[in-house]
Amino acid sequence: MPPPANDPATSDQQAGAFAIETHGLTKRFGERTALDGIDLRVPRGSAFGFLGPNGAGKTTIIRTLLGLTAANSGTMEVLGYPVPLERAQALRRVGAIVEEPRFHMHLTGLENLRLIAAVRGPDAYPRIEPALARVGLSERAKEKVKSYSMGMRQRLGVARCLLADPLLLILDEPTNGLDPGGIQEFREMIRAMVEQEGRTVFISSHLLDEVERTCDAAAIVDRGKIITQGTIAELASAGEARHELILGVDDPELALSTLGGNELVVDVHRADGGLRVVLAGDPETAARLNATLVRAGVGVTRLEPVRHSLEQRFLEITARLDEAPVDAPASETHEEVRS
Amino acid sequence: MTAIALRMSGADFLKLRKKRWLVLLSLFLTFGVVAIIYLVTVIQHASNPAEHGPAGGAHNFSDGVRALALFFGPLVAILIGVEAGTGDASAGVFRDLVVTGRSRLALFATRVPAALLLCWTVVTTGFVLLLVGSIVFASGLPTPSTSLVLNGLGFMLLATGVLCVISVAFASFTTSRPGAIVTLIAWQVVASPLLANISSLGSARKGILSQAIVHFSPVSVEGHRGATVSMSEGTALIVLVVWVAVFLAIGAWRTRTMDA
Repeated sequence: MPPPANDPATSDQQAGAFAIETHGLTKRFGERTALDGIDLRVPRGSAFGFLGPNGAGKTTIIRTLLGLTAANSGTMEVLGYPVPLERAQALRRVGAIVEEPRFHMHLTGLENLRLIAAVRGPDAYPRIEPALARVGLSERAKEKVKSYSMGMRQRLGVARCLLADPLLLILDEPTNGLDPGGIQEFREMIRAMVEQEGRTVFISSHLLDEVERTCDAAAIVDRGKIITQGTIAELASAGEARHELILGVDDPELALSTLGGNELVVDVHRADGGLRVVLAGDPETAARLNATLVRAGVGVTRLEPVRHSLEQRFLEITARLDEAPVDAPASETHEEVRS
Repeated sequence: MTAIALRMSGADFLKLRKKRWLVLLSLFLTFGVVAIIYLVTVIQHASNPAEHGPAGGAHNFSDGVRALALFFGPLVAILIGVEAGTGDASAGVFRDLVVTGRSRLALFATRVPAALLLCWTVVTTGFVLLLVGSIVFASGLPTPSTSLVLNGLGFMLLATGVLCVISVAFASFTTSRPGAIVTLIAWQVVASPLLANISSLGSARKGILSQAIVHFSPVSVEGHRGATVSMSEGTALIVLVVWVAVFLAIGAWRTRTMDA
């Protein structure tokens, strides 16, 4: 599979820093607001996670971006083209799997790809064999899809996306049904597409770990609103600004009494087979803390900073949302979280 | 048709012809039924020639054309048309076609020639067997004239083609395979003959599809070529065109506007 044409001057993409950009995107189903003024920016050439609990609006935004359902208000651009105004041009270099990949089960994998190639145009036919090879299905391409496992159907779904030689891949819960080996392979494929081929991959998922391991940046969505977005590191560290250590010591009692009341320490307690310490200052305080313990005669066998994960950040956010008064206007609730 | 439209129709034809149950059932309703009728009538004629005439000949050919064009052929047209109209949606791949960026109207339009191609291929096999049998088993009876053969073929293709196109469009509108099949068969086999026989409906009955189709029959079907309602061929043609146009319009509208 050749790398995609990333020259902004080509007719395949418009200039601009974002592969997806939405402003005030709103979608209602009757009385229910599924998307509530979504402002989303997905940088080109990145793996972008769209993270949220089930029912948060992840699939709805994908369906809206792809023209599967119409938005009630707001604007969208995909690869620099306004959607739905220039939808055909925008989607020409977009591959997408919405919800689970579906196929004509009575046809072979190869025939299913030929159907899509017929619709995409003559350029897509030469990409069929490389796409099958890329996802490791060349040997099984002439078998009917109904004999495929879920993992094979996911891979065939990716092959179908590759027929567009996509600048942008939109994948909705892509690791559903994959075994651990398949998930690992999938992750590696996504990273290769981004790092080696310069494609943009937009992954919606409720699996925090999956997004953290695969993506460069992410947005957290809940109840139809973007709660926050940024790089994974920014999101993970944007929680409460506190630094924690796990300490391994030879005399926990002496260490507790030494650190209790120390100005460098906000809190200390036994945890994780040692002591868990919340520092009063920045991470460099750890060196001074170590010196303090050594001076007090405590042997330090382990000193490990606690890494704040996206999962912790996500749980912080959703916990705060859940604690928000039920009758509070949604916008106020989310503004509070953003601040 | 552009090259892409041809390829898209070819892809739709592939989906249909690979549906084994659809092709086998359609062949049974045409080729199979004609074969069974010949088998029975040939055995009857062989066992009791005085009571049962030869299985072939022009008269039996006309009966066969009538059965193929007005009953078995439309059944096949409905089955194939409905499958063409609902296949993508029921398999869940319509959204994957939409996200290619291709116009939804193009996706709808290419279903029609694919369905027609399979429908006409299948009913023609039955017609060919009917023709061969009418000659082979004529046993001295007059065989069908070239004019009767060509007119019969044309009538059968018209009758099945109209039903097939309407079925594609109606199924695209409902997106429900069982619902569309039941509704179309009930309309064509039960409701239409009933309505055509309610004389108090007067000239409104000219709008009944099957009545308009029968006006193009080259063989006698009951009264005036089988039509309960008399109308000119021009009127019959207009009725056919209106039915096809209206159904194509609602099928296209639904395909263009529905959530995928």
